[in-house]
Amino acid sequence: MNPFALPTREEATPPAPHPEGAPLLEGRNVTKFFGGLAALSGVDFALYPNEIMGLIGPNGSGKTTLFDCLTRVQHVSAGEIYFKGANITDYKPYQVAHLGLARTFQVIRVYKKLTVWENMLLSRQWGGLPMRKKFHAPPVETEDRARDLVSFLLLDRVMDEQAGNLSGGQQRLLEIGMALMPDPDLILLDEATSGVNPTLIEEIKDRIRTLNAQYGKAFLLVEHNIHFISDLCSRVFVLNYGQKLAEGSPDEIMENEDVIEAYFGADGGDDDDW
Amino acid sequence: MHTLTEFWKRYRLGPLLLILFVLFLFLLPLPRWLAPERKLVSNSLLFSLTQLFMLVTLASDWNMTGGFTGYVDFGHAVFFGIGAYGTGVMMAKAGWPFVPALVVGAVAAAVFAVLIGSATLRLKGPYFSIAMLGTFVAMREIVRVLRPITGGGSGLTLPPYLNRPLFYYVTLILAVLVVAFVWWLRRTQFGATLVAIREDEVGAEMRGINTTLHKITIFWIAAFFTGIVGALWAYQNTFIDPDVVFFESRTIELVMMTMLGGLGTVAGPVIGVTVIYWLRDVLWSNFLQFHLLVEGVLLIVIVLFFPEGIMGLLHDPSATSLGRLWGRYLGGGPKDAYQSTETETSV
Repeated sequence: MNPFALPTREEATPPAPHPEGAPLLEGRNVTKFFGGLAALSGVDFALYPNEIMGLIGPNGSGKTTLFDCLTRVQHVSAGEIYFKGANITDYKPYQVAHLGLARTFQVIRVYKKLTVWENMLLSRQWGGLPMRKKFHAPPVETEDRARDLVSFLLLDRVMDEQAGNLSGGQQRLLEIGMALMPDPDLILLDEATSGVNPTLIEEIKDRIRTLNAQYGKAFLLVEHNIHFISDLCSRVFVLNYGQKLAEGSPDEIMENEDVIEAYFGADGGDDDDW
Repeated sequence: MHTLTEFWKRYRLGPLLLILFVLFLFLLPLPRWLAPERKLVSNSLLFSLTQLFMLVTLASDWNMTGGFTGYVDFGHAVFFGIGAYGTGVMMAKAGWPFVPALVVGAVAAAVFAVLIGSATLRLKGPYFSIAMLGTFVAMREIVRVLRPITGGGSGLTLPPYLNRPLFYYVTLILAVLVVAFVWWLRRTQFGATLVAIREDEVGAEMRGINTTLHKITIFWIAAFFTGIVGALWAYQNTFIDPDVVFFESRTIELVMMTMLGGLGTVAGPVIGVTVIYWLRDVLWSNFLQFHLLVEGVLLIVIVLFFPEGIMGLLHDPSATSLGRLWGRYLGGGPKDAYQSTETETSV
């Protein structure tokens, strides 16, 4: 039986938000300078266990930079980052991954010359694995998990294909599968629907709902597709010019005057423009 | 053509032929003892093959970092030099026998790889290549200056040992071991992480791979084997000096041979070394003035027309300019002429 079998839509409705208790991921006064340009200025941010949170903002607002800082791909110029209560500000990216934080990238990063199967196996949980065990073939459990995820993400038919030969949408799915391989607690998806056809977007949504409802995975989604965000997220965080602009439920955000102005200018826009 | 490929794979003819060829190489010197009066196997043939086996080992070592991990090391011969001088100093100055001196040379190369790799492997692309080239040149000058230990520019003379068959067998066994090690390595999770680093280092790090540790590990393993070759070369040569041991062209040769065969493949360095070694013999004997020019042109042709080397050409000819040209010449168009069934880039 596939442990990732999809529930019905009714079963997979997003759970209630959990804004109480200790945050799973927290950024305090996160600041990042590129030369003289402040990409992020004193951003305070918190995401709670089992939550699906959206991160939106106009182009250049600092969403991906915040992602990079949270996952330690970029060093912060000031501020602190906590994950599961541990201060990870000075951690290296692989140490953050070992703690249970996985991500995808705005520009797809899969190992293009390797097969889908090899890509999945290479994304296993490496934390705590002694060097001598790396000189063995992957254990059966790792292979089973890879097989289940490939099937869950509808990639079984292209398992032996080079990742670079897949369509953009399939590569997105593969990247999500790779992020899920180490069984992380939190997954950061950077524009997961970019370049993906509407049918596949629905599939991605379903799988995010399942993973959240059945397996308790938390998600932070960077998106330009506001409908994707409003369908999935209980809370939305808005950045503009590297600063927090607003935070609230998707409905509150869509009616927020400051957010509308940031996206559409002082004249505002129609609801259909989102 | 298709049937031939299926037949080749079905009956595993590749590995079978390889085993037979290695067996042939092991049996090759036997006529020297079975029929010495007929002089079927000369000293010069054994010497030539010994050099070839050393180059196969060196190219396979270089391929571990340059091919699999994608860190193009222009100073890899520094480990050869440390292996040679480590052994030479222990034998000529301390009077040690060869085997313990070889261990000192190889271990010194591996330790130096850890030390220098900890710094240089944090650099990317051409910065790493230039840093290693600088390390190589600096080490040559250090060896030249440390006259009381290394003999400086005058060099060191090692006790002569002219047993050609012994060097032949030792270098053959070493080459087989190293190629087998690379074959096995590519099938391990660690080997796969090296390819992941080459493909996308940031992605690999973000997916939990401690890329620095993995790079340093493969770097010292490659340096250790290279140090052993340096030690064997020094003992066989019986004389070492900085200019002969720290010879820039040695690394360039390894790069060229591996590229010709196929970067990041197991068989690539073996094929590349064999082709260039044979080609060089022909060029030296027929066009002494032009052999370097021809080698340079060959390197340019590889980079421009088949960057994935002979192995890439065999796996998917349509992926290379040369293969596409050949496909058009055959008249079927690039994709019609060649329909590759292979998806792997590495053997």
